[in-house]
Amino acid sequence: MITNFIFMNGHGIFVWSAFGLVLISGFILYFKTRKTLKKYEKEFLLELETLPEAKKKHVLENSKIANKILVENSKTN
Amino acid sequence: MFNFFSPTNIFLILSKIQKFINSIFFPILIVSLVFALILSPSDRVQGDAMRIMYVHVPSAWLGLACFSAITILSISAFIFKIKNFFYINKSLAPIGLLFTFLAIVTGSLWGEPTWGTWWVWDARLTSMMVLMFFYISYILCFKFIKKEQLMLKVSSLIAILGAINLPIIKYSVDWWTTLHQPASIKLGVSNSIHSTMMLPLLSMLLVLVLYGALIFLMKYKTEIIRIKKKSIKRL
Repeated sequence: MITNFIFMNGHGIFVWSAFGLVLISGFILYFKTRKTLKKYEKEFLLELETLPEAKKKHVLENSKIANKILVENSKTN
Repeated sequence: MFNFFSPTNIFLILSKIQKFINSIFFPILIVSLVFALILSPSDRVQGDAMRIMYVHVPSAWLGLACFSAITILSISAFIFKIKNFFYINKSLAPIGLLFTFLAIVTGSLWGEPTWGTWWVWDARLTSMMVLMFFYISYILCFKFIKKEQLMLKVSSLIAILGAINLPIIKYSVDWWTTLHQPASIKLGVSNSIHSTMMLPLLSMLLVLVLYGALIFLMKYKTEIIRIKKKSIKRL
């Protein structure tokens, strides 16, 4: 039964290649995109850290995005 | 109304949606794979090779859907002067390219056992290949054109020119004699596909839609952060 499932009457190589390709390329794009997002989030926070304290406070008070990134990164760290 | 499309609003909404998709994606993926590879019956004529349909057809649909969205948003961006739509397009294009590439390659893998050939230059296959080149040129335009206004104009032109290819892809199997079969699923018409195959197909479509949404959300968030990083000192 397992042999039938793997070989699929001679079509297994085509079916598994198609599904494998979709899964592998999907995972590659996912991890590449995630890595880029994390890199930009870190760069954004570094840029925020370089600001003077008063300016930094002003940015955090006025930018919901800056707040959100700071909160999300403090959770993961 | 257009305040709703502000990057801040969209960023906050996207973060919530991303978390939700992350939580449901893997269970749906596993159930769909079980349906597609084990529970659905094999085809009387094509045998198990037909299972490739479960990744090929949704990939092709989504490749076309992404380019249709890019065209509509490019035109809307010009009419309503919403620059944000270009950032949405920039995030959509790599997803559309991936799905178009997967549709072509999985189609080729399906073609060998059913047609006896990996590739033929028939209207459907060729027009899908043309769509892939439109995606590549669209992405390259964002990468290599540094002047923003020029980049927006060129990308819109590519999107509008590429849109001419969309009805050609859709109706190529009706207009010309092709090796590719005509559409088995038509909106509003009774389908020639049995429900035991339709369910796994729709389930795999849902998986790829969720995956595409997940990638889009991350890419679009990256775009917003990139813009905010530039303007952080002006806040």
